[in-house]
Formats: sequence, structure tokens, C-alpha cells
Amino acid sequence: MPPYAAASGGTDAEGVSHVQTVLAHRVTRRVVEAVLTLLGVAVLVFVMLRVIPGNQITATLGTEASAALTPGQQAALRAYYGLDQPPVVQFFGWLGNVLGGNLGISQRTGQSVLDMTLAALPVTIELAILATLFGLLLGVPLAMLSASRANGARDAAGQLVGLAALSIPSFLLGAVLLAFVSKYFHYNPSAQGFARLLSDPGLNLQQMLFPSLVLGFGLAAPIMRTGRSALLEVQSQDFVRTARGKGVAPLRVQIRHVLHNALVPIVTMTGIQFGYLLGGAVVVEQIFSVPGIGRQVLIGLQQKEYAVVQSTVLVIALSFVLVNLLTDLLYRVIDPRVRAS
Amino acid sequence: MDLRRSRTAAGDRLLAAAVVVGLLAAACGSAAGSPAASSSAAASAAASAAASAAASAEATAATGGNLVAGITSDPNTLFPWKATQFQAVAILGTIYGTLTELDDKLNVVPGLAESWQVSADGMTITLTLRAGVKFQNGKDFSSADVKFSIDKIQVEATAAVAASTLASVQEIQAPDPQTVVLKLKNPDAGILAGLASVNLAMLSKDDTEASLGKSPNGTGPFEFKDRKPNESITLAANPGYWGDKPKLATVEFRIIPDETSIVAALQSGNVQFAVLDDPLVAKSAAGNGITVTKTPQLAYHALQLNARRPPLDNVKVRLAIACAIDRQQVLDTAALGEGQVTGPITSPAFRSDPSARPCPTRDVTKAKALLAEAGYAKGVTIKTIVSQGEYATSVNEAQNLQAQLKDAGITLQIEVMEIGAYVDRWLAADFDAAVALNGGRPDPDTMYGRYFTSTGNLNKVAGYSSPELDKLFAEGKTTSDVSKRKDIYTQISKTLEDNAVWVWMFSSYAYTATTAGVSGFIPMPTASLQYLRTTSVN
Amino acid sequence: MTIDVTAASLGVTVGRTRAPVWRRLLRSHSGQAGLLLTAIIAVSAAAAAFGLTPHDPIAQVPIDRLQAPSPTYWFGTDQFGRDIFSRSIAGVANSLTVAIVAVSLSAVIGTLAGVSAGFFGGGVRAPILAVTNVLFAFPPLLLALSLASAFARSWVTIAVAIAIVYVPIFVRVTRGPVLSLRESDFVKAARVLGFPTSRILFRHVLPNILPIVIVQVTLSMSWAVLTEASLSFLGLGTPPPAPSLGSMVLDAKTLVESAWWTMAAPGAVIVIFVVGLNLLGDGLRDALDPRHGDNG
Repeated sequence: MPPYAAASGGTDAEGVSHVQTVLAHRVTRRVVEAVLTLLGVAVLVFVMLRVIPGNQITATLGTEASAALTPGQQAALRAYYGLDQPPVVQFFGWLGNVLGGNLGISQRTGQSVLDMTLAALPVTIELAILATLFGLLLGVPLAMLSASRANGARDAAGQLVGLAALSIPSFLLGAVLLAFVSKYFHYNPSAQGFARLLSDPGLNLQQMLFPSLVLGFGLAAPIMRTGRSALLEVQSQDFVRTARGKGVAPLRVQIRHVLHNALVPIVTMTGIQFGYLLGGAVVVEQIFSVPGIGRQVLIGLQQKEYAVVQSTVLVIALSFVLVNLLTDLLYRVIDPRVRAS
Repeated sequence: MDLRRSRTAAGDRLLAAAVVVGLLAAACGSAAGSPAASSSAAASAAASAAASAAASAEATAATGGNLVAGITSDPNTLFPWKATQFQAVAILGTIYGTLTELDDKLNVVPGLAESWQVSADGMTITLTLRAGVKFQNGKDFSSADVKFSIDKIQVEATAAVAASTLASVQEIQAPDPQTVVLKLKNPDAGILAGLASVNLAMLSKDDTEASLGKSPNGTGPFEFKDRKPNESITLAANPGYWGDKPKLATVEFRIIPDETSIVAALQSGNVQFAVLDDPLVAKSAAGNGITVTKTPQLAYHALQLNARRPPLDNVKVRLAIACAIDRQQVLDTAALGEGQVTGPITSPAFRSDPSARPCPTRDVTKAKALLAEAGYAKGVTIKTIVSQGEYATSVNEAQNLQAQLKDAGITLQIEVMEIGAYVDRWLAADFDAAVALNGGRPDPDTMYGRYFTSTGNLNKVAGYSSPELDKLFAEGKTTSDVSKRKDIYTQISKTLEDNAVWVWMFSSYAYTATTAGVSGFIPMPTASLQYLRTTSVN
Repeated sequence: MTIDVTAASLGVTVGRTRAPVWRRLLRSHSGQAGLLLTAIIAVSAAAAAFGLTPHDPIAQVPIDRLQAPSPTYWFGTDQFGRDIFSRSIAGVANSLTVAIVAVSLSAVIGTLAGVSAGFFGGGVRAPILAVTNVLFAFPPLLLALSLASAFARSWVTIAVAIAIVYVPIFVRVTRGPVLSLRESDFVKAARVLGFPTSRILFRHVLPNILPIVIVQVTLSMSWAVLTEASLSFLGLGTPPPAPSLGSMVLDAKTLVESAWWTMAAPGAVIVIFVVGLNLLGDGLRDALDPRHGDNG
């Protein structure tokens, strides 16, 4: 959520409580924004699904069987899949249920969407966290390398590596990696039936390795580039020159002064990317058979399971909103003086 | 496995066997000269595989092993009367039983009905059911269940997809627990073959759709054990099965969404069995210990034409299209030649002669001449709808057709669409032409009766009917003489081709990929995996 | 997709002389590399648009199916015997068209919305921000997927779907600077002096945010290319037989074991395309920011 222009700060005699009031006000505003955003997402996904051709009947039965249905059979199926009520009734019915904790049922699996989501969401979150770690591990050092001598050979090298990583589409990298490693090394943990982190951490981490690596590669580039420009920005500031002039060791300058201040944009970028990962990991989830939330939406979309798609997208949007709120808070923790503009 | 030994000894041996099997599997899977790093990875993978294999092997005492089959998606229903998706039909076909069954040559053989008698006038069929058959929940199977099932299927509210197969059934009687009498409105020669479909599975009268969705309960060789949605569905051998007990202890259908990832899993040995759809993928799977068997399928690829829309209402235009197409070329480019050029009927007993048509081979000159006669000397434009993502070759077929038709002055505009949009248009017959892959049936009446008779429920989509065809289909349905039926359907086939109702192109193969150690599986020309009951893996 | 909202990047000179943007761009390594690669891409696309490819990208020659790279077929042929080099170039042209249309659309709409949201008050700002938030919170690939499924498949649908997904970024990127600008002295002075709002917007605000928008455009273009490729990969991209880089990779997925060139060529082209655009974007940003470029 775009941060608002900061209040004009300032100290007064009641310094602390002034800030507290402002913060509380902000928080309320944020919450209201979040709720409205989620409502908007709910309406958008609902409308979009109804606009997309086909419905759960045709998706389940296919061409010939759908065509062969008698009107009576059609009516029965419409009732079974909840398609017989007017859209407005369907919308409020669904929304009402969601607010009560009932995210709907998948006729395809017989499971409640809540159960499916509770199983799938942690998987994608784990994937996203690992991918972010890989992205940071790759991106931040590259950024520091590039920024240390901007426009020089090291910069070019760092940028080229970072960009090459960005440019290889994740589906390409993932598909080739999987094919190569399983054919020539016979190593394919993804083919072994998905293991949950808590029940079999060893296998689970092996299964998460390649997918999060592939995703992490894609993250490394924006992190590198944001980091590089933020580092350059900070480096050129006076206090850094002062530190250098005073003879502080270069590496210490880099880490204590430069990196610390450059963290804000890096954290913001990481937060945004993490949020995108929740929905964007779907291609990697497909290739590596990871039963995450992205695949849940994709399958729901293919099978035209309205409840599944609507509720899951809402959950993803909620996660995204929460992650954004979190990064904003983190932002504030790192540097409370920063003007949010 | 010698069951007379003590349990601990048996357990130890099983564990040892499992470890050996695991290591062997890893060894068999590795090509010569794998680097050291990979062998330790393979060993740890084998160790965990061995550990899980040991755990499940201890739980059951069967000898045939545990098979892991790779499928690209979850079955989209567990209710047999609504199952049309390949995975649903395949899996449910092993859980549920039908009155009649088909052998691998597609002959009708006894299933739950041990024998049957058709009355002289063809209006009554008396079936004698097997004795001692039980459902997987322990309940006895009897004629009451048969009556319940057939009655329920015919009720519209059930929305059973094969209800029309029972259209000729007027009444069903269950005079005693072992006998069922079907009273027909008219003779129906195809009904016995039609009853062999999982869509007409016999359910227990005490079960409902809701209860079956959670715990399937059938009479088939395998019973439902466990399901993790979007991950796997596991079946176990049914100890109470009426036929030869399955050799496999369990079958796990593991969901691997991408076919190339399934091949990777076969190559690493984690999956031992898969049915592949894409010929290119199948080609890449073969070798290094993986056997790929190809089986001609009953399903056919066709360019459906809507003869109710100009310019296709003119038979000469349709014939021009048919003549301008080299079907073998479409097959070669779209499916790497993996298939057979076919006429309308694909079932072996009634197979059409693919050359029995006005243009057995491509004849562009004739096509142009026909167009000119029809008044379209300058050429004609038609639009075709194509689905993408439903099956592997659709778009490639369309592209090749477009290229070929261009030579005859026919412009084929391709509208590629996602399956949902395609189905909507197809159902409404809102197309000039449609590139389609339609299912085949063992009996030609079940296969085409609903399309090409004027009262057929798919006639709108078929786009064509004629009194001649109506008459022929009626005859074919009511004649019980096999050779006479063959003649009738040969005539139907000829009529369809002479009028270029559709352009039938080819039937393709289904590819069954198995790793070394899997034996006893016989692929079927239908989507059925029924021979999993004779399969074993070591 | 960086959000570079520092005041310095507004291009407001702080009393320093600087070389013209063009020359500064050419001085940096990233700028040089970016220009070169982008130029190669643009020239190829133009060649394809004028039909100047070695072979017809669409014509099928089944006899020459799946041939390895050779003097006749520089990148080899695909399963229909089509020349992969020609198809790659044509695919670049298609992807470039989609990317340009999509990003232009989102840049125009997004900038207008962002500027309005930054400059005007409550009644205008609130709905714009609400819609932006919703689009942001919606998983982007799924949004594009749904839009692409909903309407007839054509490159226009794909471009519009991608455009809608990227509008929020432009709104965010432009809104921040406009907020600051609104408080700046010369804008305040202009308002006091009674200049019409349109004049203030067009003569003072837009020129100052233009650099940011330009940089974001180049970055978004590379993302648009990747998104189009991902959509094609998932089966929803530009419909065949028009070549698209993503659908070429999709087809190659099953062929790559026996015919590596079917994936190497479109994959390499995608990489060059995206790297070039990104380097150009970076170079532009450095060139337009008076402070970065001068760091040694």
C-alpha cells in the first residue's frame, strides 16, 4: 500500500504521545485501507470468474458429456455446483460464508477450501522465504560488488550476472534443471510424493531446494539492482565521505554506514517481491510438483471451481497486504526518521 | 512370501528385501559412470524410498509390490456416474465393477453378470449375476443393487453422463437376488457393450453420491485407501475381490502436473508407471530402462464441419476440404506419425476402411475443381475453433491443416481458445469447423448414434443428419446378427465419408511407460487401466 | 521493478553542470551494452516486420523437420520444419509489439492516474488509490491468466492483460514525486500566481517525472516480455501460428532432449532481449540522475 506523506514530524513537549497518536491513527487508516482493498479483490475475482467462458459443469464433464446433458440433468448439475442462484446472491452468500470462516467446498476433492488452503499456504510461504533468502544471498553481495566501483569492470560484471539471472524465465530454468538433474544424476526428490516440513524436514528441504533456487534467481536481480542504486545513493552522501576521510576501514564503512542506510529500499523491494511470490510461484510449483497455493488457484481456475479460486485469491491478497504492512513496520524500525513519500 | 514363518522373521526379511530393492532400484536407475556426488544423493534417495517401502510393505503381506503411477492431475470426481476425465475414469475403473466388461480385444465378457440371455425378439435381456460378490465395505452385492443403480442413473436429477446409453431400457426387474431382467422399448444391440463403462458402474443401494465422494465403495479389484488432494490418491488390493486377486499390494497415483516432469520421475525411478498423452514426451521417455508401449486408441481426431452453415452446407465445399487434406501429413507433423489414419469407426470389430472415401489420397486439383463447381473458384474462407491445453496435438493439427488447405484456395482461420471457451462454442455448435478429439466406443451405435441421427442428443454439434442415416442407424441398433451389423455400419461409414460430413483424420496412440521390473500390464484401447489387476512390480 | 523516488532522480539540477543525457548514457558501460543489445533487437524486429527473414517463419516444410543448425537453417528447424532463426526474429517482433503496446498503455494510464492522485485531493485520490491497491494485491500472473482466458485469444488481449497488471506500478512510481513536487516552491508560486492547473501539470510536473517514467518503461518492457513468455508457456499467449518466444520454449520443452536447438535459440533470444532492456534502463537511470553517473 502506498505510504502516505509523513506528518510533519516535529517535536513538542509531549513528544512521545504525539507520535503515538499519529501512529495509532495511521494504523487505523491502514486497516481500513486493507479491508477495502480486500473487498475490491473479492469483487474483482468474482466478476472475472463469471466473465471467463465455461463453468464447472463443462470443465468437469468435457465436450461430449456436456453436450449430451438433458435440460433436467443440466438443472440438477447447476444446483449441485451452486450455479443456479443469481450472481449477487452467490456473491454475498460466499462473502458471508468467508467472514464466518467457511471458505467454501471443492466438489472436486470433497475438501473444504479452508483445509486445502491451510495445507497449501504454508508450503508456498516456505518456498517464498527460501527463495527470498537465496535472492538476498545472491543479490546483496552482487550489489555491493557493483556499487564498490560504479561503472567500472566490477560493476559491469555484477550487473551482467544479475541481469542474466533475471532474464532466464523461471519456467525455462526450472524445466531444464529438473530434466538435466534427474536424467543424468537420477536425483529427483520432487518425484517422491511431497513431504511436509514438520513430518520429514530432510526430504522437504531437498524438494524445496531447486524450486526456491530457481525463484531466488529471479529475485536476485531486482534486489541487486535496487541495492546497487541505493548503495550508490548513500555512498555519495556526505557522511560516508566523512567516514572515508577520517580513515575508517573501507569494509567497515561499507557495512556499518552504507549498507545499513541502504537497507530501506532493499527491504521494501524484498517485501514487494515476497508478496508477488505467493501468486507468482505457480509456474515453478507446476514444474516441481509443489502443492502450493499458486497451484491451488491454477487448478481451481482450470476446473472452474469458483469457491476455490475466489477464496484462495482472497487469502493470497490478504497475505500480500499483511506482508506489505509488515515491511512498512520493518521500514520504520530500521529508520524511524525516514520520510515516507 | 511364505506366510507360515513368524511375523518377526517375515518382518526382518521384508525390511532386508526392501533395502535391497531400494538399492537395486537406485542401481538400475543410474546410468554407467554417474559422478560421486550423484551416487550419494541417489543412495540417500534410495534410503528414504527404502524406508517408506519397508513401512508399507510391512503393513500388507502381498507379493506384487507397491506401484507408483504418475498422473498429471487429480481425478476431478470420485463419483463413477459423472466421471469423464481420463484420470477419473482410469482410477475409478479399478475400484468399481460393471455388469459386463471388455477384454483387451474389446470383446464383451462377463463382469458382475456371469451370463446373460437375450430374448428372440431382442426386447428382454436376462442377466445372471455372480454369487458371493461383496462391496469393499463388506456388504453383499445383489440384484437389488443393480436395480437401484440402473433406476437411479435414469433419473435426471442424478445427472449421470451415460444415461442415454440406457435410453432403450423401459424397466428393470430383480426377481431374485441373482437375476436381473431388462425390459427394452426396442432391441438394442449395443447395450451390452455399453454396460461395460465405468459410467454405468454398479453401486450399493445404501450409498449416496456424497458418501462415495469421501469413501468410494465398489466391487472392483482395488479399494480406496487414502487421498491427499492435488498430491496423490492411493489404492490397495481388494482382498474380497471376486476375480483373481491383484498382485500389487498398493497403487499410488502420484500427481505430477507436468508430463516432462513425469518422465524425469520415471528416469529417476521414483515413478514406475505412467500413461502419457504427448507423443513427443513419450519419445523422450523411451530408453535407459524405461519401456514405452503404444496402443491405438478408440478416440479419433477429426475436423468437424458444421454442414448447417454456409458455405459448408454445400457438399462440394466439404468434399473439397476433405480432398485437400493429406491425413498422413497431419499425423506426421502434429503427432510425429504416431497413429493411424482412420475413417469414422475406430473400434476393431467394425473398423472403417480409411481409403473408402472420395479422395483416398490428397488431390488438390480435384479439390479446386469441386470448389469451382460449387461456385467458389476464387477460394473460400472458413474459421475453425481449436482448444489449447486439452490435448497435446490440437494446435499443431490446426496449423498443418491451415497450411495444406491454403494450396487449394481454402483459407482456414484458426481461433485458438482455452478449453472453457472452446466447450461453450462447441456445445452451441457455434463454429464453422472444429478441430476435435472425440471419444470412441467399442460399439458404433453408442459411438455415433447420438451424433448422426436427427433425434440424437449431440446432433446439433454434429451439424448433419439425413433420413438415410436415420434409417441405417435404426437398423444397426435393432439387428443382432453380427455380420449384418458390420455391413450396416460399413454403409454408415461410407455415407459419412461420401458426404464429407466431417473430415476424419487419425486415431493416435496412448503411451504406457513402465520402468524395468513392472510386468503384467496390458494397455487397453480405451482409457481403462483394468489390467493393473494383473500387474506386478519388483 | 524498482521504485526510485529519491528527489535527486527527478532530474532537478542542483547547480551542477552536466553533460547531455545522451552522452552520459553512452559513457557508462551499462548504457553502451544496453543500447547495443536493444538496437540489435529492434533491428531484428524491424527486419521481421518487413519480411526480411531468411525463411518464412510460418511456412511448414515437414521434410526438413527437426534439423540441427546448419548453413541453411542457422538455428535449426522445429517440428514443422520451420526455420527457428526466422521464427525467433519474428517472435521478437511479436513480443516487442505486445510489450510496447502493453507498457505504453500502462505507462499512460498509470502516469495520468499517479499524477492525478498525487496532485489532486481526496475525491480524485481515494478511488485511484483504492483501485491501485486492489490491482496490486491481486496476484499478477493469475490476473493476467484470468484476463487472457476471458477474452478471445489475440495479441491485443495479451497486451491489455499485461497492461492492466502493470498500471499500479506506474501509479506508485509517479505519485511519490508528484506529492513532493506539489509542495515545492515553484509549484506553489505558480498556483499563487494563478496559473491554470493544466499548465502547471504539463510544464512543470510532467517534465520532472518523465525520467522516472522512462526508466520504469524500459524495466517494465523486460517484465512484459517475460510475462508474455510465461503466459505462452502456460498455454495462453499469442495464438499460433504467429511465433512467440514463450510458445517456442513451450514446444521445445518436449523436444529439448533430442533437439537442443529448439530451446536454446528462443531461450537465448529472450535473455538477450531482457538483458538489453534492463541495461538500457539502468544506463538511462544513471544518465538521468546527476549524482550516480559521476561516481568514480
